[in-house]
Amino acid sequence: MRILGLVGAENMAATKQRGSLIDRVIDWFIPPELKAEREKRQLARMFLISHVLGPFLGNVVPGALYFLDPTPGYPVAVLATSITGFWVFPFLLKAFGRYNLLSFISVQNLIFCILWSCYYYGGVTSPTLPWVLTIPLLTFCYLGPSPKLRLLAFAQFGLNALAFVGIYHLFKTPLDDTPREALQGLGIVSTLACLAYVAMMALYYRRILDSGVELEAEMRGHMATAAQLRRSTAEAERASAAKAEFVASMSHELRTPLNAVIGYSQMLLEEAEDTNDEASATDLHKIHGAGQHLLRLVNEVLDLSKIEAGKMELAPQELSASEFLALAAERHRAPAEAKSLTLRLDLPPSLGFVFWDADRVTQALGQIIENAVKFTDAGEIDVSAVRTGDPDEETVVITVCDTGAGMPAEMLPRLFEKFTVAEDASASKYGDAGLGLALAMALCRLMGGDISAESQLGQGSRFRLALPVRAPLARTAEADAERQAA
Amino acid sequence: MTRILLVEDNEMNRDMLTRRLSRHGFEVRCAPDGPTGVRLAEEDSPALILMDVALGEMDGWEATTLIKGRASTAHIPIIALTAHALASDRQRSVEVGCADFDTKPVDLPRLLGKINACLTPVA
Repeated sequence: MRILGLVGAENMAATKQRGSLIDRVIDWFIPPELKAEREKRQLARMFLISHVLGPFLGNVVPGALYFLDPTPGYPVAVLATSITGFWVFPFLLKAFGRYNLLSFISVQNLIFCILWSCYYYGGVTSPTLPWVLTIPLLTFCYLGPSPKLRLLAFAQFGLNALAFVGIYHLFKTPLDDTPREALQGLGIVSTLACLAYVAMMALYYRRILDSGVELEAEMRGHMATAAQLRRSTAEAERASAAKAEFVASMSHELRTPLNAVIGYSQMLLEEAEDTNDEASATDLHKIHGAGQHLLRLVNEVLDLSKIEAGKMELAPQELSASEFLALAAERHRAPAEAKSLTLRLDLPPSLGFVFWDADRVTQALGQIIENAVKFTDAGEIDVSAVRTGDPDEETVVITVCDTGAGMPAEMLPRLFEKFTVAEDASASKYGDAGLGLALAMALCRLMGGDISAESQLGQGSRFRLALPVRAPLARTAEADAERQAA
Repeated sequence: MTRILLVEDNEMNRDMLTRRLSRHGFEVRCAPDGPTGVRLAEEDSPALILMDVALGEMDGWEATTLIKGRASTAHIPIIALTAHALASDRQRSVEVGCADFDTKPVDLPRLLGKINACLTPVA
């Protein structure tokens, strides 16, 4: 994310600079491999501004010489050609890259121009001598921080100086027929041009530096935001973990007194039944039932909070699907038959083997069948299953059909939310659906599956529970978040 | 009378289970923690031990391992009692040598069935 922020900031800086024509011209010349890196891009910009605008200022010197020198011969022509030659460099850069090599050639050309004009116009007292100052200025503007390149640059200066001194001593200084006043004029023009040139480079450098500062400020802003975000995320995670921890420990603490209520009422109930104390037995039955209802809710809350906190572990094992599902469904035969409902199973052996967490599938399927029994007053509950899907993504789809009250279509989307109850009249008639379906859904999703429901008011309901043949070994909240992000 | 040792740290649970088992003709001794359970297993030589796994410092698994490790008490069948019907708990109970495994809150007829199965020598 930090990297993204950086790139974003750079892009913004680039957009801002895109405003002026000269910047657009300069950026057009920068080859992609230099553009990619900020440091190199800035160096290339210095190189290009110098080569695009430099010849205008540099050519002021041969221009002045052309008018001041009574015999402007080949020395002026060569100087003008060499200075104009700087304009070729941006195109060479665009075409070939090779930035460092071009930098050295360019510096060499610069040194040549300066020494050439010095040689022909005044030697070491030449009015064009101030241009020598631009040599190190430009060299170190172009070259990066590499010590090797800097050493090379120094070697280049030294060799040129040596060559100059050598030529000066070995050959006779050419006859300088330029009048003294003309040389003074040249000195003024040349110094002004050099001044303008250095000022231009300094201003441009300042500008690049400022954009860097701006960029840095922006980057710092982004980094601060990222840090803030990390802190907030960590805080939210802590809060969420604390909440899950609280619910888990609360559920655990609730269970102890609840077990006492259930245990003692059970114990008294057994005694009352033994002594045929029917009045007490009826009341104790109610206490016991209520206690068990409460315990069940507490357990469901605990399971849901565990799943939400990513702490529910799965322990899949190989099971014969038809045998296992029959066993899980058979648990509901007695409660169904107590309501005179028929429980019909269609679980063929062709379902084959599955790799499931038996307890969790039993729990999820149990919630669905129990729900069906609860909301059906007459008729039957059908439990069937088929194996479908590609060989590597096989799924067992378990269908639970009932002939019960059904529900209006608008209720279906909210069905798997916590504490959704059937509308008004049926709510009081059937009681609440509580956490059962929400838990069944959470369990199925944990196991990589899903539950869907179809129903019409008065037409019964059909629940489809799809489970991959191979349940994932463990799923965490983070993995879920990643899955959702993808 | 068949003697059962109940190792359980919760007083109410201990009281209830003792009374319920007594009504079904068992003589119940209680231990409130692991070390006492291990000691009573040796002193009283009960016919069966009901071991709550979530005890204090020494948990039920540890106590079971100790009892199973002593020659004088190794033969006593142990039924582990846990609050969770987790497959991992079930597996652990087999690993430490428990004869059976049941969940709390206790379903008395089911527990009685398991107790009787443990006390009846397998042919």
